[in-house]
Formats: sequence, structure tokens, C-alpha cells
Amino acid sequence: MKPRSSVDHSLWLLLVGIAAWAVPGGGHFLIGQRKHAAVLFVTIALTFAAGLYIGSIGIIDSVGAKPWYMAQILTSPAVGLLGQIAQKGEYPVYGHPADYAQIYTALAGLLNLLCILNAVYRAYSGIGETIGHEEPPHA
Amino acid sequence: MHEPLFCVLAGFLAPLDIGTTPLSLLWMFPLLASIAVVYKTTRMRILFFKTLLAESLILFLTLSGFMILAGIVLNLVVWLAVS
Repeated sequence: MKPRSSVDHSLWLLLVGIAAWAVPGGGHFLIGQRKHAAVLFVTIALTFAAGLYIGSIGIIDSVGAKPWYMAQILTSPAVGLLGQIAQKGEYPVYGHPADYAQIYTALAGLLNLLCILNAVYRAYSGIGETIGHEEPPHA
Repeated sequence: MHEPLFCVLAGFLAPLDIGTTPLSLLWMFPLLASIAVVYKTTRMRILFFKTLLAESLILFLTLSGFMILAGIVLNLVVWLAVS
């Protein structure tokens, strides 16, 4: 197997990071850790969905609750799309449910940040059955 | 036929009714479970579901214990301050 160039390796790490952000667990999936990916996806998606269910999609507010939004969008870029939808509609957001919902959704984002860093670290240190291995040359 | 699906989807458009009662604190436990599972998954090099479940449960119980302890201590502080 040919050693990867440093540019290739950097691009690979970037790709893993982007995949991990795009879909929770996506980075682990790319490096071949499918079980990790499945567990992370289910857990983070459920946490985020629970937050939306508790407080309505109106809690994704990029204008009125910017710090929360910054944590929420770490879950996936799709949260930005949800934010656009939420801004167009008039979804009620109030009181205790809003607090819990913001904590749930923001925490899902922060947990995904942990997963992004973990996936990139694993890709960097070669943990996992990384895809793209070349066949050993036949003698 | 699609009524249950619509009901679930409609749930995302309006907030749940959560009062400011001590019972509402129970909402922290699913979060603690989620933190425990994700953290333990990132720590395991090779994932075995039984090990993950056991380690996540231990971490969940530890986190819950500390949260309950923190609640008791804070309540005591408030009680002492008030009385």
C-alpha cells in the first residue's frame, strides 16, 4: 500500500469532519466504524428530535437566540434549513418547554461536536477500518 | 389512516405542557442517558453492545447520582439561607 501524501491525508480528515457534521455519526461511518456511527446517529438524532418535540421547531431562532442557535447548528447543517422554516411560520415558543427544548437541542449539537472531533482524531490516528485501502501488490 | 403520523408531526409545531413542578426535573434523565451513551461510544475503540450498555448505565447512574446530590445540597443551602 502506498503511503498517503500529507495533502491527501488533510483532505481525508476534512472530508471526515464535514461528513460528521452533515450527519451525526457520518464521520465514523466513513472511517468504517459502522456500529459507532449507528449508535451516535440514533442517540443524537433522538435527543435533537426530543428537543423539537418538547418546544416546537420555533426554538430554532437564529436571530433572537443566537448563542443557542450556534450550538444547535453543530448537530447538522439541516438545522439551518429548519431555522429558515421556523422563521417563516409563527410557531409558539414559551416558558419551561422552551428552556428544556433549547437545552436538548443545544446539547445534541455539542454532543455532535464531540463526535466530529472523535471521528477526525480516529481518522488521523488510523483507528477504524478506513475505506480506500489498496490491494497489496501480487508478487 | 395517517392520523397518528399527523399527530406526531403536529407535536413538533406546538410546545408540550411542562409545568414548573419538581416532577419537571425528570426531563434531565433522558439527557443524561444521551450524554452517557455518546461519551462511552466515543471512548470505545471497538464497540460491543453489551459492554456499551453496561458502561453507559454505570456512567448514567453516576451522573444521576451527582445531579441528585447537587440538588440536595442546593436545596439545603437555600433552606439554611431562608431559615
